[in-house]
Amino acid sequence: MTPVYVTGVGLWAPGFASAAAFTAGVADPAVTTARAELYPGALRRRASPLSCMVASAAGEAVAQAGAALSELPFVLASAYGEIGISVEMMASFEEPEGLPSPTRFHNSVHNTAAAYVSIATQNRGFSTALSAGEETVAATLCEAVALLHEDVPALVVTFADEPTPPPFDRCRPPYAAAAAALVLAAAPGPRPLARLTALRRGDPSARPAPLGQPFTHHPCAGALALVRALCAGLAGPVALGPPGPRGLEAVLELGPGLLRGPEADP
Amino acid sequence: MVHPPTPAPYPITALSAVNALGTTLAAIAGALRAGRSGLAPCTFPLPFQTFTGALPADLPAPPAALRSHDSRQCRLALLALEELAAPARAAVRRWGAARVAIVAATSTGGILETERAYAEHRRTGALPPAFDFDRMQGFPGIVDPVRAVTGADGVALVISTACSSSGKAFASARRLLRSGAADAAIVGGVDTLCDTTLRGFASLQALSPGPCRPFSARRDGLTIGEGGGFALLEREGDAAVWLLGTGESSDAHHMSHPHPEGLGARLAMEAALRQAGMGVGELDLVNAHGTGTPANDVVEAGAIAALLGEAAPRVSVISTKGYTGHLLGSAGITEAVLSGLSITGGFVPASLGAAPLDEAIALRGLRIPLATELRPVRRALSNSFAFGGSNVAVILGATGARGARA
Repeated sequence: MTPVYVTGVGLWAPGFASAAAFTAGVADPAVTTARAELYPGALRRRASPLSCMVASAAGEAVAQAGAALSELPFVLASAYGEIGISVEMMASFEEPEGLPSPTRFHNSVHNTAAAYVSIATQNRGFSTALSAGEETVAATLCEAVALLHEDVPALVVTFADEPTPPPFDRCRPPYAAAAAALVLAAAPGPRPLARLTALRRGDPSARPAPLGQPFTHHPCAGALALVRALCAGLAGPVALGPPGPRGLEAVLELGPGLLRGPEADP
Repeated sequence: MVHPPTPAPYPITALSAVNALGTTLAAIAGALRAGRSGLAPCTFPLPFQTFTGALPADLPAPPAALRSHDSRQCRLALLALEELAAPARAAVRRWGAARVAIVAATSTGGILETERAYAEHRRTGALPPAFDFDRMQGFPGIVDPVRAVTGADGVALVISTACSSSGKAFASARRLLRSGAADAAIVGGVDTLCDTTLRGFASLQALSPGPCRPFSARRDGLTIGEGGGFALLEREGDAAVWLLGTGESSDAHHMSHPHPEGLGARLAMEAALRQAGMGVGELDLVNAHGTGTPANDVVEAGAIAALLGEAAPRVSVISTKGYTGHLLGSAGITEAVLSGLSITGGFVPASLGAAPLDEAIALRGLRIPLATELRPVRRALSNSFAFGGSNVAVILGATGARGARA
């Protein structure tokens, strides 16, 4: 593949308000709600928790890249999307009127977070939302690289999932909510963090680098591992998941922005 | 906006569809020509009256290897794959399994089974033993049946942008071919009737109590349908229908109301024409999103009229939702297939339910046929618009129309 460049990273998870904080690994108990500063007040009050996480991570990544969400194509990847709101709606089906709240219904679609970012930033350009189960991270990077192969100079790609709510919480190994974001560009620009030189089927026995609980079983764990490798300045292959023959790995070469370290110049 | 510098048409070497009109292309084309609707009173137990475009309640069960995926989504996908299976397997032999991508699309996935599992848990305190969250609710629920039937093993993803999902799947698949990530792609998807969308659209007061009537003065809401379809897109090959271009945009306006001037819709249609390298005067047919809600149809008609300009009298504008209902995430593939049937069959179906036309829409000067038109259709544009202001336009063309200005 033609190499692409990573020019910004972002991450939000409970306890971790930035990619650097996540990489340092020391949780701050005060970080409980994503601030989603790019949403105006009224929009933030209606936004889903997933949409707020995505806004926080994407905002951090574009700030680092010196880019603007109002102008970049936007890709949202999530294994389960707005599963929390979708299940909340089901409770209303057994109530006398039997109808969900209209806001809850329109917030239940998979592309909700992409839509809130578009509305908040008045971006009328490209956005998409996709999923591929355990292959979500790998497949989304294929879509992102294909977009950069058109005449798209740069884009933001976000990966987000929240825990599946009861009674479906036992259907998967438990994990915490988290959203990661990357700004990817076709050209290096003044200060790339890294060059992504390959997206290829990896060693079938490889698993995403251990993230530690509660993120090990996050459906987008491969993206969390990628952000951590970028923040920690680790070159080489990063397994994106899933385990087995369909697993993909991304190969990173360090760029000048990464060598200076994102913490040095927030 | 995504618009590459040179047009690059791709052959669509096979198509399939299942919806309220039938489960084969021949049956569906027959109903379209005859102007016969597939809409009927809804049989779901609901606290309100509505119509739906439903398939039979009992669909064949999946084979043993897909038993853990046994959702209505899976059954509809298997039915929709029947006409596509042989050509798709031939493409897998031609290009190699790892070079055939799957770009599926759905809005609701297998949520019907999740709703039933949730209700059973409320009653009994336990989920049904056969319920498999990942393989029914999750997106493998549609990808795995496609893999199993066709043998395709390339990049696989599911676009889920509500009602624009399967229109955008064409755009995504086209990019995978252009970037070299795949040599062929199986594009399409299904959605099923479920409480979430029936009750959800009712909560928005967007459901018609009867069959939907897009563009009509008497329209009063949409009708939900189920089903879907697939298209086989290849790097090269012989085909009667070609993918000429796609355009994607956002309204940046509201989660569930269209932009009042249809700005995002117009941007998507213009982007598709640019990608196809063609002018608006070369279109013969616009298969509109045309849901039958008061808000959508007048805004969309305005956007189409502004786009067509002086070409408007020569371009038929229809909505096919009066036949199938609104298939939500699978509306884009369904209406692409119906547009393909117009191209191969040389007819434009009546815009069912449109009479009497809304005066505000009639004043736009659009050619909305109220009876079947027998005329060659060489290039058709199909619109799909979604919650969150996600818009897509897909342009298909006949053999020979593909090199337009290339």
